[in-house]
Amino acid sequence: MKKTEKSSSAYDRVKQILNDIQGDRVPDYQGYKAFWLAIETFETVELYGQRMISPPISGDNTDNNLPKKKSCCGGSSGEEPNEGEDRSAIAEDDAVQAVNTEPSGHADPDCWPSGGSTGGGAGGGEKRSDRSGIIKGLKGEYPFDGSIFPPLLWDAKRRATASEIQFIAQWIDDGCPTESESINTESEKSLSAKNISVERNELVALACGEKAHKVSNKCSNVNRKANKGLNVRKEVSTLTDTEVQRLRNALSCMYQYNDHWMDERSFDYWARIHTNSCQHGWEQFLPWHRLYLYFFEQTLQDYDEYITLPYWSWADYADANTRTFNTNKLDQGVIPEAYRCWLTQKAYNRLEASNLFSEKELAGLQALAKSGATFNSGLRFLKAACIPYQLIKNPDTGKAAWSDKTRLIYNELRLINPLWFPNRWPGAMVSPMHYPTKANINQLLSIKNWSDFAGGPENDHHFGKLEEVHNGMHNFSGGQNPHYPPPKSLKILDPDIQNTENPPYGWMTDNRITAYDPIFWAHHSNVDRIWARWQELHPDVKPEDMDGVLPPWSLSIKDTLSVKKLGYEYMRDSYHYEASSSVSFSKFNSEKAGVKGDVLDTYRKADIRLHRVQLGNMFNTTIRMFLNAPDASADTPIVDNEHFVGEITTFHGTCYGGPGHCNLPLDKTRQFDRRSLHHHEPRNYRVDASDAVRRMLAKGEEDISVHLVAVGLDGKPIDNALFFDGVSLNFMD
Amino acid sequence: MKENLFKIHPAIGIARLGNSEDFYLSPEQPGALPIECDSDGVEIREKGKPKRIQSFKDESDLSKVKRQAARFRIFVYENESDLVGKEIKIGGVYNMQLVANAATVVQTVKGTVTDIQWTVHVANKKASWYDFTENSGMHGYASDHPLRNPEVTEPALRRQLIIDPGPQTVSSKNSCAKFSKGQNPGYPQTFPPVNISPNPIDTLGELKTNVQDDHPRLIFLGGNGNSGSSKTPVITSFVNNDGWFDDISDGPVTASIIYNYTQESYDKKGKKVKTVKSGSMDVQIPAWVVVGYPRYVPQMMDMITLDEAMFDLFVRNKAYQPQLFGVPPFEPENNQPKSEQELDLWLNEAHFNPGFYPQFYRDIWPILTRPDCYRYTYDFDYFGGADPHNRGTGGNLDMNALSKPPSHGDDPNFEHRQFIYNIMRKSGQENLFTAEGAASKSNPNYKPRLMPMLCGNNPITNISPDKFLAMTPTQLFFLKQWADGKFVNECQEWGEGSNNCNDPWANPPVTGEAIDRGVLSNMLGGAFCPGGELSWIMMNPAVYSEPYRVKHAVYQAGLLSLPAPIANLDGSPAPDLAKGMEPGDLTKYIGIPWQADFHECTYQNIDITYDNWNNIELDSTGDPAKQKIAYNIPWWPAHRPIVVYDKSMSSQVYWASGIPPNLSGDLQMVEAWKDLGFLASSGTGITRSFYQVERNNSALGEPVKPGDRQLGQVTGVQSSVGKKRDRNDR
Repeated sequence: MKKTEKSSSAYDRVKQILNDIQGDRVPDYQGYKAFWLAIETFETVELYGQRMISPPISGDNTDNNLPKKKSCCGGSSGEEPNEGEDRSAIAEDDAVQAVNTEPSGHADPDCWPSGGSTGGGAGGGEKRSDRSGIIKGLKGEYPFDGSIFPPLLWDAKRRATASEIQFIAQWIDDGCPTESESINTESEKSLSAKNISVERNELVALACGEKAHKVSNKCSNVNRKANKGLNVRKEVSTLTDTEVQRLRNALSCMYQYNDHWMDERSFDYWARIHTNSCQHGWEQFLPWHRLYLYFFEQTLQDYDEYITLPYWSWADYADANTRTFNTNKLDQGVIPEAYRCWLTQKAYNRLEASNLFSEKELAGLQALAKSGATFNSGLRFLKAACIPYQLIKNPDTGKAAWSDKTRLIYNELRLINPLWFPNRWPGAMVSPMHYPTKANINQLLSIKNWSDFAGGPENDHHFGKLEEVHNGMHNFSGGQNPHYPPPKSLKILDPDIQNTENPPYGWMTDNRITAYDPIFWAHHSNVDRIWARWQELHPDVKPEDMDGVLPPWSLSIKDTLSVKKLGYEYMRDSYHYEASSSVSFSKFNSEKAGVKGDVLDTYRKADIRLHRVQLGNMFNTTIRMFLNAPDASADTPIVDNEHFVGEITTFHGTCYGGPGHCNLPLDKTRQFDRRSLHHHEPRNYRVDASDAVRRMLAKGEEDISVHLVAVGLDGKPIDNALFFDGVSLNFMD
Repeated sequence: MKENLFKIHPAIGIARLGNSEDFYLSPEQPGALPIECDSDGVEIREKGKPKRIQSFKDESDLSKVKRQAARFRIFVYENESDLVGKEIKIGGVYNMQLVANAATVVQTVKGTVTDIQWTVHVANKKASWYDFTENSGMHGYASDHPLRNPEVTEPALRRQLIIDPGPQTVSSKNSCAKFSKGQNPGYPQTFPPVNISPNPIDTLGELKTNVQDDHPRLIFLGGNGNSGSSKTPVITSFVNNDGWFDDISDGPVTASIIYNYTQESYDKKGKKVKTVKSGSMDVQIPAWVVVGYPRYVPQMMDMITLDEAMFDLFVRNKAYQPQLFGVPPFEPENNQPKSEQELDLWLNEAHFNPGFYPQFYRDIWPILTRPDCYRYTYDFDYFGGADPHNRGTGGNLDMNALSKPPSHGDDPNFEHRQFIYNIMRKSGQENLFTAEGAASKSNPNYKPRLMPMLCGNNPITNISPDKFLAMTPTQLFFLKQWADGKFVNECQEWGEGSNNCNDPWANPPVTGEAIDRGVLSNMLGGAFCPGGELSWIMMNPAVYSEPYRVKHAVYQAGLLSLPAPIANLDGSPAPDLAKGMEPGDLTKYIGIPWQADFHECTYQNIDITYDNWNNIELDSTGDPAKQKIAYNIPWWPAHRPIVVYDKSMSSQVYWASGIPPNLSGDLQMVEAWKDLGFLASSGTGITRSFYQVERNNSALGEPVKPGDRQLGQVTGVQSSVGKKRDRNDR
């Protein structure tokens, strides 16, 4: 190999190798030409269905902590393509395409991550490079063994040498770094090297408050994992675009397996569990559904470990829905935007190419694609596009079926947004009904005993109040189909109320099929959240039979009583500042968190959390917390200061032992390590900031920044006592 | 040391009848002209490539059709996973199996090839076989299935209906042999009666050997096109005519390699002694030869070639190309069924690989480019003026548009490809004439005809009907992938440095497998009613020992098998596909005499009377209430031309002018086939045209233009009515 210039990166070398192999003549490569020259292309391109660089699978530890564009949720969200919009971007997920293609009976390229095939095929230790088309191609392995494609590169000057292939494979397994530094070698993975690329003086400036920390643009759960915290289930409106897209990608992939509904990777597998096993109308209702969501969420996390189920805080939509539910006009309700439907330009192009639509209809669709307007039901979308909702009689079944036009549009809508569902007409059920308000929820939370709140025991079973409200919201979100029964002209003698197309009511209203509607999961997440909140308020109130088993799971009610043991908590929204624990903080300043207006309008509780504060041999310190006070210092008064949140005092003391005894402990990675929290594990602090935030809002502030000042026990500034990994500002409903 | 693997290529050779002494070699590339050779069959080369023939007939006599020889060669392979191999040489040294005597274990020795003993045994079993009745018999014959020459029921007499000249062996020492009467002392030959007329049959062909560039080769020549009847010669059916014989044939081709090796032994004093000895070894993988009628348009490809039909069979039944059809992950390791049980499992699990990307010029374009050529052999109804096969810019089959895969996520030709795919007849649509629901934007009532608009395996009756031709499942899978944008344009990707990227067959084949497939690509692969050179029996996986290889049966001299009902009378051998094929077992399914069927294979008016015609009233045709007839559906425009151009390209004429399209014409064809013209081509690509040459006007008269009314020639539409009557019309 040629000697590499010191300043060039491994990626530069990869490009150089491939350029040299290719020589002067570059074939088309399906329009991408020299696809390796731009990292964004190289990492995502599929050449004739073969992904050149395989995506990292869940569990690949290669790039979680790298400041890389596509890793985690980092990178400028402005550059992230709206993946629902851009089909080529989403094509990474074969599932999305598969949802729209006829089930072939054979899964297309498997979208679900796994540990590799069994039977010695690939072995559990298969590396990312082994799965990457470029490596298979350079090696001349199937399908680049001439059976489908010739070896890569095509029409090239020469073949790659073994050492060149090895170099590129290593680069892929290192996470395709583009930086010139060598990173991620085992010895450098330690905490102190985390931000090695940031200049030391930059860190110092941040640690003394001269520079302000920026709010992290990573997904909440990415930050939570980095700080070894619980996952967060957020209100669906506060998910970032990336967070909601991750959920959509996972569902798209699950839909791909729906022909195999006994495969737990298929969405229908999970939806059917409700059909067969759900518990309603007694004390197991809440515990059973908590586990149902937990196991479904675990499956989603197999696909992408940073996904949690969002919740749909019904009461937030009460203003809009007071009239839509309390009416006899159908299909008027408002649901969270993430679950609505809209049309993209690419989808429009495909509709146009179908030749099914008239000029007028195309004009209507084009206008919707241009505006990007979202609709609470497919029916309302069709109305807006001036396309009649047409039904035909399915000649095979004799039942009503969507016309080709409707079906084509619905297919596209579901492709764009896998959270949307066609059999959904949110709103009234002819007879006016009451939509739950915040006051109603608070009434619920004030109930003092289990059976009134959550349902009676086996020998005295009855519905609890929370479940009753939940029932109403099932009906609201499913609603009633204004086009049922189908027109008499179709001569459908016996309309089937269980029809999969054009049923009388939305599927959310029917407990047999409700979980097939993706909004089910957000709805129940909210039920679970209200229960969790009620548990906080009534920590000692328990159901009668704590040992009741909750089939199909082999867990009992007592296993369900703590969401924290199940690994999550509920938050309206969470704002995180990453901090470097390689330098001691005397002062922590932050930029404004960019708290969303409706979060500030509706939050119940706010807190500030300090993540992973180091203990070993640290001086005890007082940490004073302020909001919107960048100039706060040790001299800033804390009495009668509306910016002052509160203070905490650490209690560390000295540490003594052999060399290295007081170092940070190892990460807990061993399967059978049942020891409890390590003595030197960095600890977390949290301070209630609800009132302080309110004071800021009352002052007319519209956003919040967080400021910490470290003060020694002598009341003077201290600059060698405080090391931590992050600060977060959290809002709870 | 393990002995080398030897195979004869092509796996199935094709010789063609001719009445001239002169002959040429079978083409080995799709749509290529035959190859010039000298009188020993040595290929004549020009600039390093085979020289192509200039004329199909004798220079001085337009009634003398040259024969096409089938040439065989032997390839040596390192082992079973060697797929390339190379042709053996006289003087070449290979690992040979040595069977010294019964007491010695089999040894492997280094052997130097000195000679090849080729053995071929062809026969014609047509007259001894069953009647051809469309698709019946495809899955085994019923015990009451009618026989040809049904009055001959005594097994020994029935055996006399087989033309069996016995095997012939040739080598460099004894380089010629004839499959002729009296040429096989010690073999109980059977030949037709001497008095059959119009033409007696006393030979099925001959063998020659030659050595070219040290490569030993076998040349097989078939019959002379003689057909005759032992009765008053009349033709009563396109396919079954009692009393008739023709000199078509087929049979196994085997070879034994003669070699020298050095044996080391020790004399009584313990001194090493080297002795050169001679040994012989049978080529492990033998071949087959088939004789067909002349290929009058050798450069025009059939809509489905026999290679394509067989490829589909092996792909879907024999794990031939697991990357295309197999068990995921479609790699060879997962797709090597070795036993019958494993094959059953494999057949249950295997399917087309959704990740397979066909290559445009290899897999797609050949299908799309052929129909346009048929306007030179067939008077197209252009459906109101437009040319449905237009390959020009903006045409349905515009190569520039259709060859572009999605590029950088853009796919402007998606709809165009989908349209083409949608009008292709799918499996299960064999009895539909028009597409269902493939409406156009401007005209929702537009129902295009399904393609190819050619006859199927049984367009004649409503019993087990198979009215129209559908491309093979493999071809349809290629087209589906292509329509969905899953294909590669070789020229854009890895062929840019090659002038031939758009023609994978531009150069003569160098691998044995490519020779096998190249030869078969010039034979007809459907429809089979009964077919061209061969019939639907070739679509039965049981007749093959491995892809492209006909399974050889063991049989007794003079005791070739007879139809089971006759054979069972005295315990004579009856056919058993599981045991393999005997001489004559492939061509016996074809019409007798071949001239009758060949002449009638022009058009067919196809009765698609009513929706449920295959469920009730099987024999009902022509129901006046709802009768729907697809008119003038051609059979095989590339095999049996109908309307052709003369060289000036100014006017179209009936190719068979002078031979009326009726049973009398069929009889006339028994002699007139040799006077008909061949079609040559000029130009390339979209401007390539075909025109008639070497027609013997002195025998057939001046050719007649469509529309002209002359003695013995009426217009095409009228002439086509009632083509291919079935047996009931006898």
